[in-house]
Amino acid sequence: MNTNLKISNVTKKYPGCVANDNVSLEFNSGKIYALLGENGAGKSTLVKILSGVIIPDEGKIYLNENNLKLNSPLDAKKNDIGMVFQHFNLFETLSVFENLIIDSDEQREVLTEKINTIMRKYNFSIDLNIPVLNLSAGQKQKVEIIRCLIRNPKVLIMDEPTSVLTEQETSELFLSLKKFSEEGILIIYITHKLKEVMELCDEVAVMRRGKLVSVSEIKNENIESLANKMVGQNLKTIKKKKEKTSSDQLINITNLNFISEDPFETNLSDINFSVNRGECLGIAGISGNGQSELFQVLSGEIISDKNSIEFNKNYIGDLNPQERREYLMAFSPEDRLEQAAIPQMAIFENVALNNFKSSNFFNNGLINENKIKEHSKKIISDFNVNTNNIELKSQFLSGGNLQKLIIGRELITSPDLLICFNPTWGLDVGAINYIHETLIKINEQNKSIILISTDTDELLKLSDKISVIHKGKLSKIMDAEEVTSEKLGILMGGGN
Amino acid sequence: MIKIVKRDQPSRAIFFLTPVLAIFLTLVAGGLIFYILGFKPFEALKFFFIVPIADKYGFSELLLKATPLCLIAIGLSFCFKSNNWNIGAEGQLTFGAIVSGGVALLFYEQEGFYILPIVILAGAIGGMLYASIPAILKTYFNTNEILVSLMLVYVSKLILDYLVVGPWSNPEGFNFPETRQFSDSARLPLLFEGLRIHAGIFLALAAVVISWFVFYKTYLGFQMKVSGFSLKTAKYAGYKGKKMIVLVFLISGACAGLAGVGEITGPIGQLHREVSPDYGFTAIIVAFLGRLHPVGIIFASLVVAITYLGAETAQIFMQIPKYTGQVFQGMILFFLLASDYLLFFKFKFTGSKK
Repeated sequence: MNTNLKISNVTKKYPGCVANDNVSLEFNSGKIYALLGENGAGKSTLVKILSGVIIPDEGKIYLNENNLKLNSPLDAKKNDIGMVFQHFNLFETLSVFENLIIDSDEQREVLTEKINTIMRKYNFSIDLNIPVLNLSAGQKQKVEIIRCLIRNPKVLIMDEPTSVLTEQETSELFLSLKKFSEEGILIIYITHKLKEVMELCDEVAVMRRGKLVSVSEIKNENIESLANKMVGQNLKTIKKKKEKTSSDQLINITNLNFISEDPFETNLSDINFSVNRGECLGIAGISGNGQSELFQVLSGEIISDKNSIEFNKNYIGDLNPQERREYLMAFSPEDRLEQAAIPQMAIFENVALNNFKSSNFFNNGLINENKIKEHSKKIISDFNVNTNNIELKSQFLSGGNLQKLIIGRELITSPDLLICFNPTWGLDVGAINYIHETLIKINEQNKSIILISTDTDELLKLSDKISVIHKGKLSKIMDAEEVTSEKLGILMGGGN
Repeated sequence: MIKIVKRDQPSRAIFFLTPVLAIFLTLVAGGLIFYILGFKPFEALKFFFIVPIADKYGFSELLLKATPLCLIAIGLSFCFKSNNWNIGAEGQLTFGAIVSGGVALLFYEQEGFYILPIVILAGAIGGMLYASIPAILKTYFNTNEILVSLMLVYVSKLILDYLVVGPWSNPEGFNFPETRQFSDSARLPLLFEGLRIHAGIFLALAAVVISWFVFYKTYLGFQMKVSGFSLKTAKYAGYKGKKMIVLVFLISGACAGLAGVGEITGPIGQLHREVSPDYGFTAIIVAFLGRLHPVGIIFASLVVAITYLGAETAQIFMQIPKYTGQVFQGMILFFLLASDYLLFFKFKFTGSKK
């Protein structure tokens, strides 16, 4: 039987952004569809609408001409839409079998029979009696897939399924997906990995900034054309005035490695780069490719080998963030509310988080509140933070003002190097411009920046050199003048 | 219709009101329990909370019990404020008592002004040593401090048991499980003739003042505050996390150890099996009831101390087991945690429409 899924004029607005802007799409069974887009393009929102997690402001969804009311994930299940999320929803301590039957009200024997049939048919080999925590990521994903298949879904949605899989597991998954498709299940595959789209899918829909950009057949596309569509061709590359950058090396990273014990973190392997004075090195990449780990290694939250980081002719790889600050480094982490600042504390207390010996915030172990407050007032006026009350808890600052405070706090000591990670994430245009101007100003003062960002526009605008991080490895460092957004898109997706 | 709405931010006023609300609810629930047991609720509550402190002696007893509670809770608040969960103050108290008791026994039948300071110091060091075990295991081997500190409580109690029954037992003591009496110079002086309140209360008051100063005026206090809110931020700021963990455990251990000193060198003057009626555990309740604030802890220790006294009077006058005291302590904690819900949510009364 043929399945037809139609998304008609779906719109979902959030304060300050339109996640889905009048999106219409049609899918037919027998094909594998890719939904492609950068982070924040709106593909997750669309998928969550299809699976009943989010209710759209406008628009309708039809399955075989029936208008679906998807008010909860349960409604999606009832209407034969199955969904496998990027992060698994399994009970780690229960057995595989218990996980499979937990949301079903059918009889145990019937289910056992069904599960065995599915396992035989698709050649899955998983021991049903062991606890899920003993399974590999690939096996856990199979459990999720089986859980969907038990319900004989008409539609199966896979949300970035390969982000936790090995190469081997990925190709196994592709084989299974192709088989499901032949059986008549409509498959929607969400990803930002271009190579996978080319390998697996029949049709591709590209989203950018909440809008559907194109729908086309894979045979008419190649990696370059898709990258173009994903990033946007007509990007104006407003760049800062290029002075002749100095050849005076400020920081040099050699053979830096980091191996994490946490399976959700990315290992860094063999990172090598250097930044000269007055230069901005941009590091592009799709989030989750090791940016957070790289930031922590550079800031000293993760300590590495002493000789792997040479800063201003000192080896500092084994120093913590506070000690690195004494060498005139400054850091602006991605997470404003949980790391860079403490919302429950007053503005001036947050200023005291960046503590130098010479700032005299703490004398002989005592808090020098006057000094901190004086300093805070200076930051507020120098960096246009829109308040004059330094006793205000920082949770009452808007994202833009908080980021100005953080950048100001880091810059007021005029460091030689600022390392920032997604500094304009979630900010409005005005604040973004202010931060960008500030960063350009730093370079003009012959200070350096390492800018880790998932925003390609931002990187092209601010960087002198650009490298791309993919699966914890840096690409070769390129001159920003010669880089195009298409090229970045390809490198970000793991191409060459 | 009543709706529950999330607050925009935790309410400051509610933060200090919920402990009072918790105590009130405890009284109501306690009265109800007494009623079910067949007592007149108000009379029973009077026996429990008023009669024990109605005279001079009772008030002295109240301060006597509040002293160790306050001292330990102050120490614990160093740990709790910085996200370290030291549950083993009872063990640190016991070990502090063992060490200071041992030192006091060394000076058996000797007199001198220098003896008491040494004995007190020994108690603090004993508590610190014992608290350093979970701290070091946590920092260097990633163990869970809750489990380690808790299990060490039982170890210390067994060590004490062994010592007072075996090597340290009083040779003239007819095999009672207790040591010899300490010499007068090794004992904390009693403050008033005929009352048991002793100089240990000054240690507790000193701890209150010092902790207030550390919490609100020093870099260490600031670092503890930051770590308490977000360990990620503390790491980003570059605070030496391991050093701080060890330090707060040592402070907490020292306070518990001092409480142990007070228990054995005060009115009793010897080591015996039951050094503490679970002061170390009850102080956890005191610390939270006092909102980890030095002044709050003073009040909380007085309130909780009454439950110890009340339990004794209730046993005498009403023939109910003294463990009722623990029921009340449990209820206080229970209602406190429950009313903390009001910190983040509020009730909204709307019209009667559905």
